Amino acid sequence: MTTNSSGKKNLTTGRQPETLSDMLQRRGVSRRAFLKYAAMTASLMALPPTMANVMAANLARARRQSVIWLSFQECTGCTESLTRSMRPTLEDLIFDFISLDYHHTLQAVSGHAAEEARRNAMKENKGKYIVIVDGSVPIKDGGIYSMIAGMTNLQILEETVNDAFAVVAVGTCAAYGGLPHADPNPTGAVPISDLVKDKPLINLPGCPPIPEVMSGTLSYVLSFGKIPELDHLARPLSFYGETIHDRCYRRPFYDRGLFAKSFDDEGARKGWCLYELGCKGPVAYNSCATMKWNGGVSFPIQSGHGCLGCSEPNFWDMGGFYKPLSTGLGNMGSALAGAAVAGAALGGGSAWLARKHQGEYMKNLVDHEKDKAGQNSKKEN
Amino acid sequence: MELLEFARGPALQSAMVIFVAGVLWRIIGILALPFISIPSRARKGVLPEGEVKGWFEGIWRRMWPHKSFIRQALFSTINGHVYHIGLFVVVFLFAPHIAFIKDLTGLSWASLPSNLVNAVGVVTAASLIAALIHRLTNPVQRLISTFNDYFSWFVTLAPVLTGLLAVSHLGARYETLLAIHLLSIALLLIWFPFGKLMHAFLFVVSRGATGARMKHRGAQI
Amino acid sequence: MSLTAKKADQQGDLSDDQRIINAMHTFVNDFGLTAATYMESCVKCGLCAQACQFYVTTGNPKYTPIGKIRPFQQAYDRHMGPFAPVYRFFNLVPAVTLKELKYWQELIYDSCTLCGRCTLICPMGIDIAELVKEARHGMFEAGLIPERLALMDRTTVAWGSPATPAEDFAEIIEEISQEYDVPINVDKEKANILVTLAPAELGDHTKAVADMAKILNSIDADWTLCSDGFEASNIGFINGDLALQKKLTMKLIETAQRIGAKTLVLPECGHAYGAARWEAARWYGGPVPVNVVHMTEFLDDLVSTGKIKLDHVDETASFHDPCQLVRRGGVTKAPRQIMEALGLDLIEMEDSGSFGWCCGGGGGVVSNTRADKLRHKVFDLKKKQFEETGAKRLVTACGQCRITLTMGAKHINWNQETDSLLELVANNLVT
Ligand code: HEM
Ligand code: SF4
Ligand code: SF4
Ligand code: SF4
Ligand code: SF4
Repeated sequence: MTTNSSGKKNLTTGRQPETLSDMLQRRGVSRRAFLKYAAMTASLMALPPTMANVMAANLARARRQSVIWLSFQECTGCTESLTRSMRPTLEDLIFDFISLDYHHTLQAVSGHAAEEARRNAMKENKGKYIVIVDGSVPIKDGGIYSMIAGMTNLQILEETVNDAFAVVAVGTCAAYGGLPHADPNPTGAVPISDLVKDKPLINLPGCPPIPEVMSGTLSYVLSFGKIPELDHLARPLSFYGETIHDRCYRRPFYDRGLFAKSFDDEGARKGWCLYELGCKGPVAYNSCATMKWNGGVSFPIQSGHGCLGCSEPNFWDMGGFYKPLSTGLGNMGSALAGAAVAGAALGGGSAWLARKHQGEYMKNLVDHEKDKAGQNSKKEN
Repeated sequence: MELLEFARGPALQSAMVIFVAGVLWRIIGILALPFISIPSRARKGVLPEGEVKGWFEGIWRRMWPHKSFIRQALFSTINGHVYHIGLFVVVFLFAPHIAFIKDLTGLSWASLPSNLVNAVGVVTAASLIAALIHRLTNPVQRLISTFNDYFSWFVTLAPVLTGLLAVSHLGARYETLLAIHLLSIALLLIWFPFGKLMHAFLFVVSRGATGARMKHRGAQI
Repeated sequence: MSLTAKKADQQGDLSDDQRIINAMHTFVNDFGLTAATYMESCVKCGLCAQACQFYVTTGNPKYTPIGKIRPFQQAYDRHMGPFAPVYRFFNLVPAVTLKELKYWQELIYDSCTLCGRCTLICPMGIDIAELVKEARHGMFEAGLIPERLALMDRTTVAWGSPATPAEDFAEIIEEISQEYDVPINVDKEKANILVTLAPAELGDHTKAVADMAKILNSIDADWTLCSDGFEASNIGFINGDLALQKKLTMKLIETAQRIGAKTLVLPECGHAYGAARWEAARWYGGPVPVNVVHMTEFLDDLVSTGKIKLDHVDETASFHDPCQLVRRGGVTKAPRQIMEALGLDLIEMEDSGSFGWCCGGGGGVVSNTRADKLRHKVFDLKKKQFEETGAKRLVTACGQCRITLTMGAKHINWNQETDSLLELVANNLVT
């Protein structure tokens, strides 16, 4: 996708799209390399081994898929993640292969022509195209905080999604509202899932998501024509089924209770667990610990920093990146001081009442006591 | 993750507020009652300092039964020590818990290996269950036990069990388990001041007062 | 629980409501900081039952010590505890009923000797014996105590002693003096030592009075008995009649002050020690201005300072520790030192000293005839422990214990006498 010549061609020509195997042949990719890719993707997605061949066969036969990529309130990090891989890989080819009919950052055309292209693609692939969204949608004040070509993000989304086959929310902003949604959420940002209710939706959260997760998911859709199995947050289980902690190579240190206490202490140098430095790995469902980043080079914990839990809703509002998971959220100081004062007052008050009881107050209670005693003995009888 | 946020946030926060207020309410409500003292002359040789010593002796002496009672008190004592020490270890020597306390108070200390704490947690849970069985099968305890006793038992065991489930990822997703664990702790904190768990504080006064009284008389503490 | 209170006695013609009110009022006034802490800290471990003779011998859980004060506990929770206002408002802790008070009468009086054994086992250090004693205060004010104890109370209020009116005292002493042929000082204007008595010593144990005189005379002590201040076994202390307890206590102190006594010698009586040695200050309002000693302490002092010399008995013996003197009073070594001076070969029972079992008659139980059956049952325990020692003599230092042990033995036709330490000393005094 470093070049988008194919995408551009597709914007203008309407001919029958080539199959993936056609393209691979044209690019000189060997069949063995392709099979290896299929096998790897299948295994990443924890498909049974027999499915690898099915996937390869289906993929080879797959025709170019029309994709409309909508970017709303986002930082372009997700696109960067996809396009800045260290070396061209088969994943890139997958992205080359899809027909990216509209993408702000990547497409060459702009202005009316771009919007035109989007509408054309929608018309030509009605009911078949996939909408990928990155960024959240601001809905406060009529959605004026993010507009493209005079339309609010919400309007564009609604219009585009209408005839789509499925929607993929890429990145944490699209999946959960992301940073724009952070407290106090000034633009009223909402995730795509709040707005798209009647189309199949896949969330690929992460800030940004792992490129292989995106390509893997797309490969699955291309080869099987359906969306993969999802968890309760609409994330493909195959990539988001386990926590970072489940697969973290520092886990043995966690189990033994060996924790780094600061980023440059003995423990940190020895590679001990980062739990006490705020690692959110135990509650972050993502594939970083297995697939890693930058083509499998490393991942945050390997480089010495705890997981931020970026694939989880509201990860920025979880009390602080450096606060251990087992700590409470928020500052308790004044609340506890208030509680102490209130408790002392109640205690003093009750003792004062009790002392009064020992004196003349007991007499006033006599009638009351009689009533109660009367009631109780009646009850017992 | 919303349940977890609720648990780590408002649930724990309000529980701690109730805990602090309730504990002070109860303690001050007792300590501010009139002190009825009988100013008899102490046994010869027992000075006022001696009575203070008696206070501490009382606290210490009752950690273990007198020889005459050992046979009858053996199970209660040993089992009691097992789950109290177990609770102490699990609550105060488990790294995530220390992190919690450090975040709250700034104080921290060394932790034990998590696997060891895990094992202690299992023993503690078993010991608590044994304590319940004893309570249910022993006619004396059956007769004198009330809702307070059973509920206090429950809120003590709950964090241990949910904590064990959380570390072993059993039964649900980790964040749900952790949230349930924290909610069970919130329940414990809320109940603590109002039920018999307050013995954790009150034993100092009740043992101490008897210790001082007996010391004053030169009698066995 | 269904409460059947077939045994409950009641005194006076108070209305039912008034009984409850009196009980509650008095209960509530007993709660200071210490009692409150006790009420708050029980963990319901049930261990106290294991220390209590009544539970151990019957296996009936209703005799669990902490359970004996339930109405007292309820009064605390409802009126004095930190959450009392809440409990009252929502009626979470109901008011105590007359039926409950009547049910608990047996538990508070018939099946507790205030022996304090439970106090020693309680892991929370709760002084249950003290609480039972305090609970008796409210029961007394409600007119809800065993009739036998009430009778003694009325007698004592009228006479100043359950044994005899003050007017007849000198006469009785004169008879004892003649019977045993010992000069006994009565009603001296001034004396260094005021000697006091327990009711049994004007009845079953008159020899004790003579023995005491014999010993005091042998050291040329400046001592006397007084007609208006001889009664030391404080029945108010036992019954929960605080007014009487105060009256009896003050009478002793005033008599001692009037005759200028420096020492007040209590008879061989455990409860006398509890009342005069430890609780008198409450009524006097400060440390009492006279040195209060139990007969056992007094004798120990004479023996250890060499003021008296004793012949050796050279027999095996075991000592029954009177609860109020030893466990509750702290006088553990003195009787043993006296026994050593007597050349007795002391064989301790399995549970001895502060851990000894009660005779079963303390706290008024021995006088409370309706509790006889239970008391006899409890006696087994003592008998067994004594027999295991294989000792010849059973010695004690409390007249009430002695009566209880003697009656217990008689009931089962067990041929074992109980000796008084005072009597042994007097019998073996080297003159
Ligand atoms: C006060 C009574 C508490 C009890 C009885 C208790 C008990 C336990 C137990 C038995 C475990 C399992 C430990 C192991 O086997 O490794 C555990 C784990 C845990 N507890 Fe607690 N706990 C208490 C308080 C707290 C508090 C105050 C927090 C902090 C909010 C907390 C947070 C945790 C966490 C985060 C874990 C799991 C850590 C992990 O493995 O990821 N606990 N707890
Ligand atoms: S570094 Fe983080 S993810 Fe890794 S073991 Fe520690 S807590 Fe778990
Ligand atoms: S390690 Fe955690 S914070 Fe980092 S990218 Fe992965 S999920 Fe996000
Ligand atoms: S004082 Fe003695 S008799 Fe009374 S309850 Fe306690 S152990 Fe039983
Ligand atoms: S021994 Fe103490 S704590 Fe245990 S039940 Fe009896 S009074 Fe309560």
